Amino acid sequence: MLEVEDLRVAYPTRRGMTEVVRGVTFSLGQERLGIVGESGSGKSQTGRAILGLTPSPGQVTAKRLEFDGQDLRNATHAQWRKLRGARMSMVMQDPKFSLNPVMTIGAQIVEVARLKRNLSRAVAKTAALDMLAAVQIRDPERVFAAYPHELSGGMGQRAMIAMMLVTEPDLLIADEPTSALDVTVQLEVLGILDRLVTDRGMGLIFISHDLRLVSSFCDRVLVMYAGRVVEEVRADRLHEARHPYTQGLFRCLPTIEGNAGPLPTLERDAEWAI
Amino acid sequence: MTFVDREWLLTEQPASRRQARFGQAYRTWTSFRSNRLAMVGLGILVMLVLVAIFADVIAPYDPLRGGDLRTARLLPPSWTHLMGTDDQARDIFSRLVHGSRLTLMVVALVAVIATPIGLLVGTTAGYFGGWVDIVLMRITDIFLAFPRLILALAFVAALGPGIENAIIAIAITSWPPYARLARAETLTLREQDFINAARLQGASAPRIIWGYVVPLCMSSVIIRVTLDMAGIILTAAGLGFLGLGAQPPQPEWGAMIAGGRRFLIDYWWVATMPGLAIFVVSLGFNFLGDGLRDVLDPKGER
Amino acid sequence: MLNIESLNVTYPGGVVAVEHADLFVRDGESFGIVGESGSGKSTVLRAICGLAPVTGGQVLLDGTPLSSPRPASFYRRVQMVFQDPYASLHPRHTIDKVLSEPLAIHGFDNREQRIERALEDVGLGTGFRFRYPHQLSGGQRQRVAIARALILEPKVLLLDEPTSALDASIQAEVLNLLDRLRAERGLTYVLVSHDLAVVAHMCGRLMVMQNGRIVEELSRTDLQGQRAGNAYTQSLLAASQGYRRG
Repeated sequence: MLEVEDLRVAYPTRRGMTEVVRGVTFSLGQERLGIVGESGSGKSQTGRAILGLTPSPGQVTAKRLEFDGQDLRNATHAQWRKLRGARMSMVMQDPKFSLNPVMTIGAQIVEVARLKRNLSRAVAKTAALDMLAAVQIRDPERVFAAYPHELSGGMGQRAMIAMMLVTEPDLLIADEPTSALDVTVQLEVLGILDRLVTDRGMGLIFISHDLRLVSSFCDRVLVMYAGRVVEEVRADRLHEARHPYTQGLFRCLPTIEGNAGPLPTLERDAEWAI
Repeated sequence: MTFVDREWLLTEQPASRRQARFGQAYRTWTSFRSNRLAMVGLGILVMLVLVAIFADVIAPYDPLRGGDLRTARLLPPSWTHLMGTDDQARDIFSRLVHGSRLTLMVVALVAVIATPIGLLVGTTAGYFGGWVDIVLMRITDIFLAFPRLILALAFVAALGPGIENAIIAIAITSWPPYARLARAETLTLREQDFINAARLQGASAPRIIWGYVVPLCMSSVIIRVTLDMAGIILTAAGLGFLGLGAQPPQPEWGAMIAGGRRFLIDYWWVATMPGLAIFVVSLGFNFLGDGLRDVLDPKGER
Repeated sequence: MLNIESLNVTYPGGVVAVEHADLFVRDGESFGIVGESGSGKSTVLRAICGLAPVTGGQVLLDGTPLSSPRPASFYRRVQMVFQDPYASLHPRHTIDKVLSEPLAIHGFDNREQRIERALEDVGLGTGFRFRYPHQLSGGQRQRVAIARALILEPKVLLLDEPTSALDASIQAEVLNLLDRLRAERGLTYVLVSHDLAVVAHMCGRLMVMQNGRIVEELSRTDLQGQRAGNAYTQSLLAASQGYRRG
């Protein structure tokens, strides 16, 4: 479904162009791919570049960037409009900042449904309510009429997922979708995402800093450091990871069962950044 | 003796307070320098200052005493009189040059008087909240309600006309917006953790306001003051025009326009030259203010 | 040593942040408070410092109730490290100024030496001394915050989610630093976090809060033995195990 080869994203700085994504290559089918990295690794920039959302002074280049056979590298505005929202969607971190604060949830979902699927108002409203029920919101009518600030974090994120999936896209990119949520709510939202992705046969790219979470949710994991992919591994084989950064990242996390001694810290090798 | 060069200024590891502060100032300066219009504004302002300082040297004629009233009145611009002469046979160029001192005095005094008052009232009101806030803001509202010209008239009636009274009148009516601005900034800053950390060290309220809040309000207030300067110059000129500011024969630009009003059709240069001077200086302040805003905007800094 | 009895914190507007909270922390202990957002855990710390409106109950240090506003001697004994390293340092102050402020307020001597030693203790070299916060990474800023808290030589350190905003690898370094400092100086910690693993790693005893109330108090060994009594604590434990695909 998605083919990415040698993706590079560069921004102009005082010292010339600096690359924040330096040659990322992967392909995605109807599966779940996790991209893990710390801040500055380039994971979010990769996700945005795939959707053509790299902010203006940034430049995106790639040897291949294809979605379902269509070349995205020089896509026009019109082509992006047909793709984004309709066939490729993105769920972002904090619903407080990604939902329009002056429109009700229902109005926003209906707007997306009508725009992208060309539905009539009534049909779109039904689709929106169905979607809100699908994300396990117990009272869809109430949430339909509510404003984003009236919802809790978990509800807001579920509403966001509903909005992004009402158009039945083929690919969903989730950028830290649960990082702003409480731990118990995180699992609920992930469960909903899990079910929806499976039921609809979507491709999913799950971007996060949380290696454990990603490895338990996805099929494959890409580990990024300083703009490059340093490891690609199957999620169930994470303990066999070979790159020292991945191993270090795994081991430096505190656990409940662990002893109280010092945590193993990551010794950064300068060679990883080359 | 450390060698102060570009490398010293831009080093990642400053070794002293002075080096850190100079380095930061230098970075701000290079960022400012890249904005061409802002540099134009700065240039105009620098020229104003230089002209004011060296007025005696630059002006070819005496600004207050005219030449021969029979032959030298209302002469058009020429090589002997670069901007012509007015109805008292005084060289307009020399009067403009000397008038720059008055303009500069107005600008500097208003800034120096109004800004600290505004900052003090605004930050105190914002930081303490409660009845302190209410009382100070109502006082601010009272001063905000005074129209400048009416207040200037009141001053003139009470104390007599003159540029000093005009400056006081302008300053007194200029500070309320700065207080409002400072208060708004203080309200957002009040809950920040670095303020809490200072409280947790036992810092007193004046220490926090002066050392923590004011430095962060300064940018917005400086930008606002700079952009206001254009209006202040025009207000002073307006007061001069009405005869409430500088008194004849002082070469205040506004008063010069008033004096030249009668001759606007046939001898346009008498009123237009000072008008152009006011225009250029106001524009300069506007450019400078815009440039400062681009550079000092907290959004870019934090 | 640090004691809270029946604490109630209500914000103007009627929001009850903490209700009937009791807490007892011994000298030299590392005590954790776990909860999700809205549990009141951070509010408890702020109430200890005098930064939250206490509407009932009292806070006692070494048996004596604390007056409000807190006396200067309080700040020499209790200090706090805040959550957001980007907001807890003044953007226009150099690190040197950040560290010399508390010394100046309390009239300490030997300021130069104290500042240098404080930086060394948290693993930052002297090259950092005259930098501005925006020239430092998140982990470095948090180290500065720790140095600032410790420069007044307090006995109790309140830590409000000190590593939540940091990357995992930096978190490990900062947690190790905090451990080391506690062992070296015999400090008492009260650590607040939403991350059960962090609290279990750092603290011998902890309490769980939900919606402003204390739900349960237990020890690390209880937690490791899965001996949590309360259902909410159990759900937190289960959640910390990660996601299980259905």
